[in-house]
Amino acid sequence: MGGNRCKKDRPAFVGIIFTAQHYQQRAPKQDLDRRSRMPVRVVENSAPSHVSDANSGHTSPPACSLLSVGQAFSGTQNVSSLQKDEAWRVNVRIQGCDLDNGYLCGVMEALNVPMADTPVVTFWEGEIVDTKNYTFFTGKWEATPEDDIRHWTKFPSFSSLLSQVKVDGGKSLDLSNCPYIFMRWKERYFVNVGTDCGLTIAGFYYVCFSCSDGSINGFYYDPNSSPFQKLELKSTNEGRFGFSFSSYELQ
Amino acid sequence: MPTTSTSTSTSVTSSSGSSRELMSRLASGDPEIKFKALREIKNQIIGNRTKKLYFLKLGAVPTVSGILYRAQVELPDDNIYSKNDSNRDIIIQSAAVLGSFACGFDAGVRAVIDASAFPQLVRLLGYRDDKVVDAGARSLKMIYQSNLAPKYDFLQEKNMEFLLSLLHSESENVTGLGASIITHSCQSIAEQKALCDAGVLEKLVGLLEGSLSQRDASLESLAMLFKDNPDVVLKFAGLENGRPLSSITELTKDRHPRTRLLACICLISIRNTSPCYLQDVGIKTRLVNLLLELLDTPDQVGDDASFAFSSLIAQKEDLQKLAFEANAVDKLFNLLQGEQLHSKRLQGLLLALGNLCSKLESCRSRFLSLQVLELVIDSLTNDNADIRSAACICLRNVSRSIKNLCAGYFMNEKIIIPLVQLLDDSSVSVQVAALGAVSNIMVDLATRKSTFIQCGGIKQLVQLSKSMESTVRSNALWALRNMMFLADDKCKEGIFLELSASEIASLICDPEPLVQEQALALVRNLVDGCVNSVEFVFAEDGVILDAVGRQVQSASKAEIGIQGMYLLSNIASGNEFHKEAVIEKLLPQVDKEADCFIINFLRSNDSRLRTAAVWAIVNLTFPSSPGAFGRLIKLRNAGIVSQIKSMVNDSCQDVKVGSFVTSSVVIIHFSPCWWRCMIILFEAASCENGAHTVNGLW
Repeated sequence: MGGNRCKKDRPAFVGIIFTAQHYQQRAPKQDLDRRSRMPVRVVENSAPSHVSDANSGHTSPPACSLLSVGQAFSGTQNVSSLQKDEAWRVNVRIQGCDLDNGYLCGVMEALNVPMADTPVVTFWEGEIVDTKNYTFFTGKWEATPEDDIRHWTKFPSFSSLLSQVKVDGGKSLDLSNCPYIFMRWKERYFVNVGTDCGLTIAGFYYVCFSCSDGSINGFYYDPNSSPFQKLELKSTNEGRFGFSFSSYELQ
Repeated sequence: MPTTSTSTSTSVTSSSGSSRELMSRLASGDPEIKFKALREIKNQIIGNRTKKLYFLKLGAVPTVSGILYRAQVELPDDNIYSKNDSNRDIIIQSAAVLGSFACGFDAGVRAVIDASAFPQLVRLLGYRDDKVVDAGARSLKMIYQSNLAPKYDFLQEKNMEFLLSLLHSESENVTGLGASIITHSCQSIAEQKALCDAGVLEKLVGLLEGSLSQRDASLESLAMLFKDNPDVVLKFAGLENGRPLSSITELTKDRHPRTRLLACICLISIRNTSPCYLQDVGIKTRLVNLLLELLDTPDQVGDDASFAFSSLIAQKEDLQKLAFEANAVDKLFNLLQGEQLHSKRLQGLLLALGNLCSKLESCRSRFLSLQVLELVIDSLTNDNADIRSAACICLRNVSRSIKNLCAGYFMNEKIIIPLVQLLDDSSVSVQVAALGAVSNIMVDLATRKSTFIQCGGIKQLVQLSKSMESTVRSNALWALRNMMFLADDKCKEGIFLELSASEIASLICDPEPLVQEQALALVRNLVDGCVNSVEFVFAEDGVILDAVGRQVQSASKAEIGIQGMYLLSNIASGNEFHKEAVIEKLLPQVDKEADCFIINFLRSNDSRLRTAAVWAIVNLTFPSSPGAFGRLIKLRNAGIVSQIKSMVNDSCQDVKVGSFVTSSVVIIHFSPCWWRCMIILFEAASCENGAHTVNGLW
């Protein structure tokens, strides 16, 4: 959801520090853990059931429990403008994940939105940059490669990938062992309000997810909105003393 | 096909007597009257199901069978050159009548078999009179087109010899019969191999050069020989430098629609068996377009084309994409709108649409935009069970889209009410198909499933979870498990009360692994969400938790272990009491490593199982819980900590992260200086052999 400009820098990352060497080399082969029972099921499971070495050569992103269906995140989207500092509280819930097809979807709930009476919920779909289904170059939504580079470089974890991405959008990179998952999230529709709610979903988010601590950082891009609105989310355990995982399976 | 009368006599017309009168004339002692009556019956029943049924009720089949039997007794083959021509004509006419009854009419086939006419017809093949042989072969061919025909045992040497003699015949009908027998009876790999070894493949290839009926019969038989047998396909593809394969490809351009269809079916059989063949996008596109064209054919070819189309695209995204680009969704929609579609056509079209929407979101979007859903909903209440089942399958595949589910396209009364009714269907296959659709629709996260609950859906699903059929049980639990995903407390409580703790426990211990898996997944979702949900597994003296512990310990397959470990992990994300209950289940005998199943899970080759096990350990040692240190000691004593330590460099990123989290927790607990250790951990992680540094902390 579009808002205003953000001036805050990304906070220091607390978690496991991986260097470029860790993930630019080809990953060791993953276990063959694709489900093979018939009839073929579409599995939406927090278990990494899509990772397979059956089709070696392609570079699926690592399966990550914290980026699986049912997982919830909360944080803020900074929509500050020159006139005033402003941030909305934001909750996100992952509802679908298909790593093979580089697909993710979920809902985003913006609370304390000034012009809205209720929290505003949107449904979004994500493209996972896996260099098989999607590269770092967006190629749509009014984003040029320059816009892409300008946004991706906002993520420190992207720095080691920059030179190759400039060449081919990262097509030749192997991200299968990368501890970060880069994505684009595009809001598709408002779930609980009409399009006349005063907010726009014309743009999209450049997103970086950390597999090691489940944090999500993002930047909203819409040529007609304030640039670099920053989204910062953390994995939530919803009052539990640990992590819990639900699952569903589509037939 | 039995043809209309070829007799020179044209004086016999349908007005020459009523059906009953015709029946009485069959009993006449005058061979001429009997012959004419037979011919008249034959002419009346050809292509007329109503007449066939009527004559069946009058007992025509046993009567004609009796006539054939007596004529055979009076005219054994040795007397073929006798002057008894009227008996010969009666034999030919009787066989033709029996064949006509069997043609495309299962009740007729059943009557012919019940009247013991089948062996009499087979006996005719031994006659030296070509016309008698032809009549017998033609009728038997009709019978072999039905599933009710007796199965032919190719593995008996004598039978194989007989079949080869049929295929070597110069009579078109006899070779056609041979091919029909193969089409009907060849089912197993052993039979396919036996037929190939006997040289049948080459013989059928030869028939591809024959008459129209021989070509068609050969194509049908070849498709059966190829089915799921890559060895036969390989042998066929190597014949004559691939010329037969090219011939079949050419036959897809034949002017006869049935030949085109059979050639397509043959090629589909080859491709489905050995995907390395026919990969060329040109032939794939041609097959898609051809079958879509053939759907317009009004007769059986059009009916069969929809099933062939399903077989072509099922589970193949590339072909579904080609079909989508060829506007297949629109085409099928237009055909579905036709008036008075008969059952088989409607079933085939629904299945084709279902297959088309099984993988691609673009097909599903087009489907929804065309309002096809309305037509599918109508078919849910069709009188024909096959159509109800096909409509459910279609609905299941269209709803296999989280995007469409989140948009709430399916959770409405127009769909839910008939679907809930189908859960009580008299046909098990309809029940299972309906459960498939319900399972998907239950993932709807927007409407909180209230429509389904109000329709009594939960009661129905719980009832089905107690079915004698394990497929029904597992699918009912699947639907309940999806319904439980992120469900609110009210919905969870409703399902739990309806099922009861003891029933859930018994389903977890069901003899069928698929049922066990779904039951565990259901409870996994039940205890997620609000921390109070964990209490569900402690109801009735913890009968559920006890069952989980037993089942996970003896998991017969990885999926059961995975669901069980995530379930235990979710419980372990609760309070101290919950965590202690889990560790008791995980470490029943801490001093006997062999019995500690979690060690085996952590060492499993299946990264999903390792990940699930690691998350359970993470939750048990969660830093802010007061009893974590004590549990950590227990885990260390059981050898689990050292196992986790060795997994910090696991090939699976997810396991690695979990292990790392646990490792850091271990450091936190065992180090007097928390921060110092965290710094060491970060430093260790940032260098290439960081794990060694971390490992050194133990």
